[in-house]
Amino acid sequence: MSDALPLPLQLIWLVPLYGFSGMLLSLPWASGWIKRNGPRPAAYLNLLVTLLGVVHGSLAIQEVVALGPQQLEFGWFQAADLNLRIGFDLSLTNLAALELVTTMSLVTQVFALGYLDKEWSLARFYALVGFFEGAMSGVVLSSNLFMSYFLLEMLTLSTYLLVGFWYAQPLVVTAARDAFLTKRVGDVLLLMGVVAVSAWAGSMEFNDLYAWAATVHEQQLLTPLAATLLGLGLIAGPMGKCAQFPMHLWLDEAMEGPNPASILRNSVVVTCGAIVLLKLMPVVAAVSPVATDVLLAVGTISAIGGGLVAIAQVDLKRAFSYSTTSYLGLVFIAIALQKPGIALLLLFAHGLARALQFMSVGSIIATTNCQDLTELGGLGTRMPATALAFLVGSAGLVGLVPLGGFWCFGLMVDNLAGIAPLFAVVFLITNLLAAANVTRVYRSLFLGAATPKTKRAPEVNWLMALPMVSLSVIVLLVPLIMQRIDPVPGIASFSLPVAAAVIGSGLVGVLLGALTPLDSFWSRSRLPTVRLVQDLLAYDFYTPEIYRRTVVNLVASLARFTRWFDITVIKGAVDGIGRLSLATADGLKLTVSGQLQSYVLTVILAVVLLIGSLQVLRGVG
Amino acid sequence: MLLSSLLIVPFLGTLALLLWPDRPSPARLRLITIVILVVQLALSVVAALRFDPSLPGLQLQELHRWLPGIGLDYALGIDGLSLPLVLINGALTLVSAVITRDISKRPRLYFAMLLLISGAVNGAFLADNLLLFFLFYELELIPLWLLISVWGGVNRAYAATKFLIFTAVSGMLILGAFLGLALLTGSVDFSLTPVLSDRLAMGGQLWLLAAILIGFGIKIPLVPLHNWLPDAHTQASTPVSVLLAGVLLKLGTYGLLRFGLQLFPEAWAKLAPALAIWAAISVLYGSLAAIAQTDMKRMVAYSSVGHMGYVLLAAAADTPVSLLGAVFQMVSHGLISALLFLLVGIVYRKTGTRDLEVLRGLLNPERGLPLTGSLMIVAVMASAGLPGMAGFISEFLVFRGSISAFPVATLLSMVGSGLTAVYFLLLVNRAFFGRLAITPPSGDPGSDARLDVQLSTVAPRETIPALALAAGIVFIGLVPSSLGNLSEVASTALANLTAGVS
Repeated sequence: MSDALPLPLQLIWLVPLYGFSGMLLSLPWASGWIKRNGPRPAAYLNLLVTLLGVVHGSLAIQEVVALGPQQLEFGWFQAADLNLRIGFDLSLTNLAALELVTTMSLVTQVFALGYLDKEWSLARFYALVGFFEGAMSGVVLSSNLFMSYFLLEMLTLSTYLLVGFWYAQPLVVTAARDAFLTKRVGDVLLLMGVVAVSAWAGSMEFNDLYAWAATVHEQQLLTPLAATLLGLGLIAGPMGKCAQFPMHLWLDEAMEGPNPASILRNSVVVTCGAIVLLKLMPVVAAVSPVATDVLLAVGTISAIGGGLVAIAQVDLKRAFSYSTTSYLGLVFIAIALQKPGIALLLLFAHGLARALQFMSVGSIIATTNCQDLTELGGLGTRMPATALAFLVGSAGLVGLVPLGGFWCFGLMVDNLAGIAPLFAVVFLITNLLAAANVTRVYRSLFLGAATPKTKRAPEVNWLMALPMVSLSVIVLLVPLIMQRIDPVPGIASFSLPVAAAVIGSGLVGVLLGALTPLDSFWSRSRLPTVRLVQDLLAYDFYTPEIYRRTVVNLVASLARFTRWFDITVIKGAVDGIGRLSLATADGLKLTVSGQLQSYVLTVILAVVLLIGSLQVLRGVG
Repeated sequence: MLLSSLLIVPFLGTLALLLWPDRPSPARLRLITIVILVVQLALSVVAALRFDPSLPGLQLQELHRWLPGIGLDYALGIDGLSLPLVLINGALTLVSAVITRDISKRPRLYFAMLLLISGAVNGAFLADNLLLFFLFYELELIPLWLLISVWGGVNRAYAATKFLIFTAVSGMLILGAFLGLALLTGSVDFSLTPVLSDRLAMGGQLWLLAAILIGFGIKIPLVPLHNWLPDAHTQASTPVSVLLAGVLLKLGTYGLLRFGLQLFPEAWAKLAPALAIWAAISVLYGSLAAIAQTDMKRMVAYSSVGHMGYVLLAAAADTPVSLLGAVFQMVSHGLISALLFLLVGIVYRKTGTRDLEVLRGLLNPERGLPLTGSLMIVAVMASAGLPGMAGFISEFLVFRGSISAFPVATLLSMVGSGLTAVYFLLLVNRAFFGRLAITPPSGDPGSDARLDVQLSTVAPRETIPALALAAGIVFIGLVPSSLGNLSEVASTALANLTAGVS
């Protein structure tokens, strides 16, 4: 059947390979085999293959628009009743997500060329980004759970390596470790779900899983406990990937990595995690209502908690990484309430606007070498393009002006107002918090007097400015694009009161952000209660500490106990037996008489004992 | 004759090395050994090509009556279970010969023992007769003991003796079980196929299986019979560790499948739930103990304890998928642990220490060991079961095949797989990330912070085998059907054998 497909669709498997080939092409420079002409050729090669990916993806979109959704499958491994396949689900939404991934990768790679201008290991960075891009392109196209899992874990690995890019710095070391381990916890739980579902359902194609999940309750295929655990396992992976509470810590620590990687992580990587959850949601919903409730709870805590914590951050990047957690919490709520279309729109709008926001942040860091908000200020007149990009990106996120975020919030609040008004309120509160956060950051960065670090801050070079400005234009056009892809009929199909509520919450947020005193000298309050709240939020509700005291401590204690047991009990017993045999041998040597009769007696006794015991054994047998 | 040649070549090589006239230089001895091992590997590949993977049962069989009175025949055969292991043996012995360097003490004996082990291991995997298997199983013991006790580290006498005693007990139990089987069935036919335990009552079967389990459990090793392994590994030199972890432990798991599962299917089915729990304990214990280690080599050794537990889990579950997973796990553990030991060996030789509290920042591109570090990341990720490498597909098959039969034990083992990521990440993070620093073993604390470390580059004789192993790991991870096609029929037949019984 696949023979009939047009070439761009038949060869769609090439798209993930473009990214991976980018990695392979960079290797000669990354490993230092070629040193003479610097590492830039690796970057150019990567840009080229990513461009190929973008073009290929857009050709595929044209074909799918003409032909309707298609499937493409290849066998990978088969044994007994296990059939692992490589499958591509070529629907319009998946291809749109693919375009988002490849385009963002392309834009980021151009930006990185400027940002990492003098970086010694530029080739290694591009190799990792290529790997990253390949895994992400595969995730969004995947039509079966096995392939999604496979690539999600590759994402975990590449995140680890990208965060650990500057591995010589101590903070990076812990950040990379935490990023990997947090995600790995989610991955292992997801693997448990994948393995179980593979054994129980027999197939791992999403479509087969949907059919299977629909019959689970009717035919009593699973015990309630097994069903709940399965549901929880399946949502754990996306939770880790999307930095949701309680697995959100890594995203903010991951800010130690190079900024271009942060752009990708905060926009498309979290999107990939959410897309996997989207694909899994019909299974989760059918199998376990508990898991759905957990998703809602996690989404709510992440949305509001993330929004609050973001406001208390003084680190430029962290202020927005917590905001990412917050927005993905909203996406989780949308997915859990079975609004996949709006969830996709929100992911799309968030991904682009967040990337733009992080690009402007990257520009500031590259220019000032500083990411402490209290040391920045007055950049608005010095870096106008960056300030504009920041404004557009923030406006695209917040529900206030008619950019992407506004329509998403409107749609969602309108949909929820009837069925779950409480969650509509969560959306509005999150909007308020996000608006307050961007406003106060904007003030710290661009308004006020210049500080010693910002006095001489020229606008960034064109390699960074070009992608930033282009992305600004794209973000401005997001509402139009949303209308074109249109997974929900009419993005403006919400009532006026809803629009007023969204704008109102945004306005209140902006006002709050505008009126809070920002004097860096007085930012630390003298009132103990205010300090308490400040600390609570600034230290992320002390989650790292809670982790250290619980999970980390538990594993460490168990490990220490095992070591003690191994040395004292097991090794002790072995050595004890050894010493005992030496001691008895020492004793026995004194009893040796030299008389032949005693030896013969010993031998006869031994033989009798042996035969006797064998007879007993035979009797048993 | 093809299978016999897999024995004759290394054994003749051993003799040739021992009887070589005049005094050849170590380099020359190494070259001769490598040539012999290349021939052996080539013969293994020929055997793999001649092997028809679509047929169940032993192939390329050879039979010569030897001592029919006691049931000992020279009978060889190969199937999908033993073929991958023979290939791994050929490859890893070659690797350990290639990476051997600076053997100033008795080089002739060293290389002869290496060949002897390789031949004996081939014999054990190919033997189609219980007694013949036992002979080879014991034959491999002495040279390994010598390799540890002559060319080992400071505490080598202790480690070697411990190894010898543990493995001798293992051998005794296995021989006892074989003899007991003959006694109880009343036949002296030790050939693998006609031995039928179903004539026995369950009580006798359980006794014999228990002896087999403990015997091979020592070799694998399973907790709490593992105590010899960390000591043996820490004291053995790098090539010996590569062999020990990569090949010799597989004798235990191979024996478990061949002589436990295949000989006593009824009793096996009865004990399977307990075995699954045992496997989970072994996995968790090994992983937790590994977290607490500060010596890199000990850490890798304990990780072996954990990862070999998966094979027991798969064997206990006894489904076609899980048994195929067991074969995969044996092969991938062979490759991955060999690579890990090889890399740890490089670090040890370059820096003089394996202490994770001392080593830092080895990934430094100019003054450190960047290639070794990169390969180390590949190796630990493969061991932690990251997709795209051999460890993932092996673990996936094991878990997927076992979860229906033993859900709790499987989930616990998966937790162990998660813990692998913890300790190996700690290893990479501590030793390879951060600012480059090495305190010499005898140095004062003040030199702790010295930054003038300059490690020389690693010689190709070590990087090329490491790259080859890494390539093998990635190849199996991306194209698992290459190995799956070889073994699927055999593992399915093995599972059906027991399915028919229960």
